[in-house]
This record gives sequence, C-alpha cells and structure tokens, in this order.
Amino acid sequence: MSNESIYLPRPATIKNITKFTESESLFELVMDDNRPLNHQPGQFVEVSIMGIGEAPISVSSSPTKKKSFEICVRAVGNVTRAMHRLKIGDKVGIRGPFGKGFDTEFLKGKDILFIAGGLGIAPLRSLINYVLDHRADYGRAIILYGCKAPHELLFREEVISWRKRKDIECHLTVDKVPEGEHWDHNVGVVTTLIPKIDFNPSTTYAVVCGPPIMYRFVIRTLKERGLAEDHIILSLERRMKCGVGKCGHCQINGIYVCQDGPVFNYSEIKDLPEAL
Amino acid sequence: MKPKVAFFDFASCEGCQLQVLNLEESIIELIEIVDVVSFREAMKEHSDDYDIAFVEGSIARPMDEERLKKIRSKAKILVALGACACTGGINALRNQYSIEMVKKGVYGDADIENNPYFDVFHTKAVDEVVEVDYYVYGCPVDKDELTKVITSLALGKRPEIPNYPVCVECKKEGNVCVFEEGKFCLGPVTRAGCGARCPSNNNACEGCRGLVDNPNINSELEVLQKYGLTLEDALERFKMFCYREMSK
Amino acid sequence: MKLIKKDEFLNFVDSLIKIDPRRVIGVKSKGNKFIFDTLNSANELRLDYDVTILPPKKYFLPPTETLLKYDLTDKFSVEAVNEVTPLIIIGVHPYDLIALQQMDIVFRDTYQDHNYIRKREESILIGVNIQNVSPYSFAGSMGTATTEEGFDLMLTDLGDEYAIEIGSEKGEAILNKYAKIADADGDTINKVHDIKGKIASKFKKQLNFPPEELPKLLEENYDNELWEKNAQKCLSCGSCNLVCPTCYCFDVQDIVELNLRRGKRVRTWDGCLLEDFAKVATGENFREDRAARYRHRFMRKGKYLYDRFGFIACVGCGRCASACLPDIADPCKVFNALKEG
Ligand SMILES: Cc1cc2nc3c(=O)[nH]c(=O)nc-3n(C[C@H](O)[C@H](O)[C@H](O)COP(=O)(O)OP(=O)(O)OC[C@H]3O[C@@H](n4cnc5c(N)ncnc54)[C@H](O)[C@@H]3O)c2cc1C
Ligand code: SF4
Ligand code: SF4
Ligand code: SF4
Ligand code: SF4
Ligand code: SF4
Ligand code: FES
Repeated sequence: MSNESIYLPRPATIKNITKFTESESLFELVMDDNRPLNHQPGQFVEVSIMGIGEAPISVSSSPTKKKSFEICVRAVGNVTRAMHRLKIGDKVGIRGPFGKGFDTEFLKGKDILFIAGGLGIAPLRSLINYVLDHRADYGRAIILYGCKAPHELLFREEVISWRKRKDIECHLTVDKVPEGEHWDHNVGVVTTLIPKIDFNPSTTYAVVCGPPIMYRFVIRTLKERGLAEDHIILSLERRMKCGVGKCGHCQINGIYVCQDGPVFNYSEIKDLPEAL
Repeated sequence: MKPKVAFFDFASCEGCQLQVLNLEESIIELIEIVDVVSFREAMKEHSDDYDIAFVEGSIARPMDEERLKKIRSKAKILVALGACACTGGINALRNQYSIEMVKKGVYGDADIENNPYFDVFHTKAVDEVVEVDYYVYGCPVDKDELTKVITSLALGKRPEIPNYPVCVECKKEGNVCVFEEGKFCLGPVTRAGCGARCPSNNNACEGCRGLVDNPNINSELEVLQKYGLTLEDALERFKMFCYREMSK
Repeated sequence: MKLIKKDEFLNFVDSLIKIDPRRVIGVKSKGNKFIFDTLNSANELRLDYDVTILPPKKYFLPPTETLLKYDLTDKFSVEAVNEVTPLIIIGVHPYDLIALQQMDIVFRDTYQDHNYIRKREESILIGVNIQNVSPYSFAGSMGTATTEEGFDLMLTDLGDEYAIEIGSEKGEAILNKYAKIADADGDTINKVHDIKGKIASKFKKQLNFPPEELPKLLEENYDNELWEKNAQKCLSCGSCNLVCPTCYCFDVQDIVELNLRRGKRVRTWDGCLLEDFAKVATGENFREDRAARYRHRFMRKGKYLYDRFGFIACVGCGRCASACLPDIADPCKVFNALKEG
C-alpha cells in the first residue's frame, strides 16, 4: 500500500445517471472494491476517464450514504464532456477523496446559512444532506440557492423536498426568467435573498459556494448583515492537475487549494490578494 | 462508428499531406480508427460524405474560396493542416507585394488575364474564409502532433495544442540557446509543439508554427536587437511565417 | 575523509562505468556550456565546470515521465508506471544538492510521490566543490556554496588529488569496492576546510542582505511597481522555471496510441510563468497578467515555500538569470532592487 502510486486511480462503476440540464448530470458511482469513499462533505475526488484525462469534482452526496457516492458534473471541457457520454455500467477512475472539507464537528450546534450559486450547490448538497441526516446536532438550516434561469436549477426534486420540510428553510432565486419559462420565486442574484431572511449573526455560520464573481458580493452583503469574517466559510476552485500538493497549479499565493482547501474560513484567506 | 475523414489541398507544397502518408506503419492503424473517404495524395475515390475535413494550403483564388465554403458546409469538424492553412504560411509572404508584382514574378509575361486559374488575390489563411475548429501548425506538420490530433478527435476530445513558446520544449531538451551562438531565434514567441526541432539541431526557430496567443513581440524585437540585429532586420525575421500577425 | 589520486579517480569512474550496474552520469561539455549526461568514459568528465544548462533534477523529475499506462479495449485496465534507472551522478555542485534536498521534502510531504522518491533512493550523488564560479551565480550569499549533507560522496580538488568526504554508506560502499583510496591526514582535512571556507567569497554577485530577510521583504513588496515594470519585457517563455533546480510544477496529459487501444498518462514540466498555467475550463485565468505570473515565481522562491516548508527555494545557481533573454529573471538583481526600495 505505502508504495502505491498516488496517481493511480481506482475503478468505480456508474450505477445511475440523473440528467438535470443539457450540460449537468448527477452520476452515482460505486467503488469496485466496495470500500466506502469515507469523505468529508466539501472534499473532492479526481475523476479519470482513461484516454481523456482527469478532473477534480466535488463529492455531492453525504458520507452518511455509504454504499455509493454521487458527483454532479457540468460539461465544459474534455473530461467533463466525455463523462456525459458514459452510460450506466461504464467505469471511471477515482483518486481521493482529497482536500479539507467542511468541519462538521465544529459546526455542531450552530445555525448554518447555505449560499449556493449555480453548480456551487454540488459540494454544499453533501453538507446539507449530512446536516439533515444528523438534524438534531445542528441549529437552524437555511438554504439560499440561485441559478441563472429556472431551467438551470439543479437537484430540482430534492430542492422541492427541502422546501417541504419544516426543519429547514429553502429560498430560491434566478438571475432572470426567460420568456416561456415559469418561476414562482425570487428574481435577482443570490445576494438579493440575504436581506430578506432573518438570522442571528452570533450563532450563524454562512457556507458559500459558487462561481468566482459571486463571492465578493455575497461576503459584502453578509458583513452588512453583521456576520463576522470568521463566520463565513467558502469553497474555492482553481486549476488542478494532481490533487495532492505537487503540481503547483492550484496555488493561491502561498496556499494550495487541493491541500489547504477547497474549503476555507474567510478570515484565513481574506488577506490573500489572489483569493477572491 | 468510425469518423469519416477527408483531406483537401489548396495552395501548398502538399508536404503536410505527405506527413500524413509518412505515418508509415501507423497509417494502417489510422485507417482502422477513421474512414478516409477522400485523399487526393493517396487514393482515387472521393466521397462528399465526411465528418472531419483536414484542409491543407492557403486560399489564393476566388474559386478556392467557393470550394472551401462547400467543404465547411459538409464537415462537422474542420481542421487546418499546416502553416499554409493555419496562418497563410510561406504563401502569405507575397502579400507584401502588389498582386501585379506577384503575377508578374510568378507567371512572367504569360497571358493569364481572364483565366480563373490565375485569378489570384492576396493569400488567405483558411480561417479568413471559414470557421476553423482546430489547427495543426507547422511547416510541415509534426507527425506526433498530427497523431495526437487525430486520436483526440477520434476519442471526442479537443486536441491539446500548446499555447506556450518553443523555448519551453527547447529547455526541456537541454539545448544551448542559439542566441548564445550568434543566431537569432523566434522561439520565445512561436507556438511550441514541434519539440523545438530547429534549436535542437542548432538552428534558429523561424516561427513556422505561428505565434502563441499573446506573444510579447516588443520584447522579442528588443532581444533580437540586443543580440545585434537592426530593427529592420528583426522585423524581417518575422515575415517568413508571421506575415499576417505582423501586418496587424 | 579519504584521498584519491587524480589518475586513480579516473580509474574509479571508469570502473563504475564498466562494472557497476548503475548508469553513470557526469558533467560534460556541450558547446561552451555544460550538461549532465551519460558518461562513456571518465575522460569526458568536466569537474571544473561552472554551472550546467539543466540541473540534475531532470533525472528524478524527468521533463516527461509516464505515470500510468492503460488498455482502452478493457473496461478499466490501468497500471502505475515508475521507470527507475539507478544512477550514479558525478559532479553535483552543493547548490544543486541543496535544491534536491528541498525537492525531497516537497515530494515526501503528506502524499509520498514514489515516482520521484524511488528514483532518488536508487541513485548515488557524488558532489564536487565549486572550482569555477558562474558569472550569474550568487550561491555564495545564499548559503549554498558549500554543503555538509545531501551527498553520498563529496570531492574537493587538491591539485593532483581529490579529497573525498563520505556522506553515506552507499557512497562508502562504492569507494571501497572500486577505488584505491588513502585516509586523509589532519593537514588535508584542514586544507579542505580552508578551501570550502573561501568558496563563498569567490562569487562576485551577492545578495546584499541575509537571505533570511527575504520572506518579510517580499511580503512588504507584494505591490511594488517593479513587478509590473519588469514584466512588460517578460516573454512568458517559462525558461526561468524550466531551468530552475527548485521548480517542480508539472502538467498531466493523456496520450493515446494511434490504434486507440493503448495509452499513457504522462507528466511534463510546466511553469507558472506560462500564460495558461492557472487557466480553467470556463476560460477564467486566475493569473492572467504577465506581472502576476512574474511576481509569483519570486514570491514562491523567497516566501511561499519558506512559509510552507521552512526553506528559501532559491539556491542562487543563476540558471534563470542566464536563460532569461530580456534579462529580468535574475532573483539576485530583483531582490537587491526591492531591498534598495
Ligand atoms: C475543488 C474543485 C471542485 C470541483 N467540483 C466540481 C463539481 O462538483 N462539478 C463540476 O462539474 N465541476 C467541478 N469542478 C470544476 C471541474 O474540475 C472542471 O470543470 C474540470 O476540471 C474541467 O475539466 P475538463 O477536462 O472537462 O476541461 P478542460 O478544459 O479540457 O481542462 C483540462 C484540465 O485542466 C484542469 N482544469 C480545467 N478547468 C478546471 C477547473 N475549473 N478546476 C480545476 N481544474 C481545472 C483539469 O485538470 C482539466 O482536466 C471543481 C473544481 C475544483 C477545483
Ligand atoms: S534557442 Fe530559441 S527556442 Fe531555444 S531557448 Fe533560445 S530562444 Fe528559446
Ligand atoms: S523550431 Fe520553429 S521553425 Fe523549427 S519547426 Fe519548430 S516552430 Fe517551426
Ligand atoms: S522572466 Fe524571463 S525567462 Fe522567465 S518567462 Fe519571463 S522572459 Fe521568460
Ligand atoms: S530561482 Fe534562479 S537562481 Fe534561484 S535556484 Fe532557481 S534558477 Fe537558480
Ligand atoms: S510555482 Fe512557479 S516557481 Fe514555484 S515551483 Fe512551480 S513553476 Fe517553479
Ligand atoms: S492540484 Fe496539484 S498542487 Fe494542488
């Protein structure tokens, strides 16, 4: 074991595929050796398609689900597009889980404000489901989820089920509603939801994940609502090639996203000029 | 389903298509993974039903433009093959002269007026006429890179063509920089992918693969001057393969 | 400490070449430069060299290295690859030995990179104290002109013989097996000590302040206009990264044979000065400006890696300075300029 290559992926088989949109699908995977992934919410795996390449993808399911795990992939480049050509029963390679996830122990007893933009829901969903599976251990759970347009909403059925639950609050928004689409919820970027909800800044931790441009606005609005800097937790994305702290691609100034992140406390990174 | 592939040539030396044939033993493997439906250099048959069109050569006549547009309308993926197709290549050199001078220089006093075969205009790269999906740079193209492009397309993958300069491959080879030997190299602004073919053989890079996306031309000109060229000579260096970029 | 006559040393090297199963690498000339390359005969050795074009890292982190190979006709058939050729490398300068020790730390940190580690473990390094100083080098002021560790054997030229310091059992074993040596007496030991003590002062180029001040200096100068000013000339050619003994960044690619049946995953040297180094699939480039990339390398060398691992990741070899055509990559010049303010 100790001499095993850190670059060798282990095989996993696709058990199920749920198509969300034209370019986003959820893949349920089972490790061929049946070892559970043992990930923390917020960690990622390196997904290999042999012949094409490898890409870092967040684990989207809660570790409480042991027999399989899920990843939500958006087709943008070589690996992610090839992923969408695979069928149930096909195999991919998995390395990891890697990185530092959300500190589920630390968050116990706290109120959690989840803020997701677009695909940012993928890593957050792992934590959301973890919290739901251990509901009594955590305080309030408030989800703010924004997409560009109604048809881009991911995990639609699950989101609807969240909205039905009494023990969580779930607010949705879209940037705009194109003609011909129907939408009953808020319209505007995800930041516009923040002033509309009520939370106690001293007991609340915000957990934020979304596209790079989203962070600055969300953080500013959260601070305006009185949230302390160290109550803001972020998951960041950078180019990655190795996932194990060697290739140098994921660096933000002196830190490595693949090792020290992808989950960071805002107070740790706010002074890094390259971070946000 | 094997993708159907067709090769077409325009104004060129056909050297790049020869590189395809030079794949030698591998050519058998090539036809295992793709169906070559048209290839004037190698076969008589021709079919208009293809997925991937490789286009060699630059576009010099209105009738070529028409033919190229037809090819584009049929191909799902169009690949520019070689420097002539990608940047105009050597052929674009004549763009610094007037059409009249070119005609006279090339065809002398022969009567070419009103003959569409000789209706030349300023040479165009393929992407000046139609949209190009991928580029295989080089004069001629590099066999390994060509293999990479073909396998990538067959696997449904965007070929990873370098956007870094020749110096990168030159350094990996451990070469003595030819500037130190009194030669003038365009490696620092030229797109890599040839394995630094010329500097590895002690020659300066002439820039046959065209420029990287964001070349620092001013700095390269300063370097050429620092090592002893006049600004004029330095600019002249670029003309061979980068005429189009330099005239912008 | 041992002593070996120069002609005996050549015999020793020739025995290594002829008898020892490991491949013997040494410093040879190439044009008017020097390189590490396979030795065919001891006569090719140039232990009087100043600096090599590429550092010996190319043997442990090769410019292109296969990590995996796979068979695409199977549903999933992947094998790890680690091509290890045991080497004896002769003529490594102290700064390069120190650089390798830094790389050892990086590749052993948290996740063990056996592709690197195994190659290191299987090799023997024979160092040599610097006889001729490269005009670009400033190792004297970086504390890297000499070293007491990181080698299996270390040579010092004493005229018609070499003094040999023994750094490991592996080193001692090849000496005992292949070389005719004598014990060095107290005088010789003092002489070697003397020579080593003087090497640092032979460097004309000097950092004007102790290297320990670098992390703080760089931190204070993150927004200095020097980055922008120098970077205007930067070709983004990555030469400064590629020739550096402490740069280790790599890219990973899949390469498939034309038959589409077999393929391999390779890593190749990359450099943070190259335009697409931090670019992601959506088109966002997290270090888009030349100046940001240019600054990153200096920050890495003098601060980031120090913060992480506790060493200054520039050993002052000067290779980047000599490789940079617009002459902006020289850490000594840049650091001194920042210090002067
Ligand atoms: C920690 C982390 C978690 C992520 N989670 C998800 C997720 O849950 N779902 C999802 O769809 N995407 C996720 N991404 C983004 C995803 O990794 C990229 O979209 C993907 O790498 C693109 O690879 P490609 O081969 O399709 O694209 P190409 O353009 O062909 O990229 C080539 C290579 O560059 C690197 N690269 C390119 N873009 C990125 C990027 N954005 N981030 C990191 N490396 C990149 C990869 O090594 C990739 O293989 C995540 C990224 C990170 C860093
Ligand atoms: S020889 Fe040319 S390509 Fe090679 S390093 Fe020098 S300038 Fe760059
Ligand atoms: S070194 Fe330059 S001129 Fe030579 S093949 Fe490469 S790109 Fe073309
Ligand atoms: S600093 Fe010099 S060597 Fe480095 S990338 Fe810029 S021009 Fe090239
Ligand atoms: S930064 Fe330059 S001087 Fe320092 S170790 Fe690297 S190549 Fe040598
Ligand atoms: S980040 Fe830059 S300076 Fe640091 S090792 Fe990588 S290439 Fe070298
Ligand atoms: S992904 Fe390679 S160092 Fe972080």
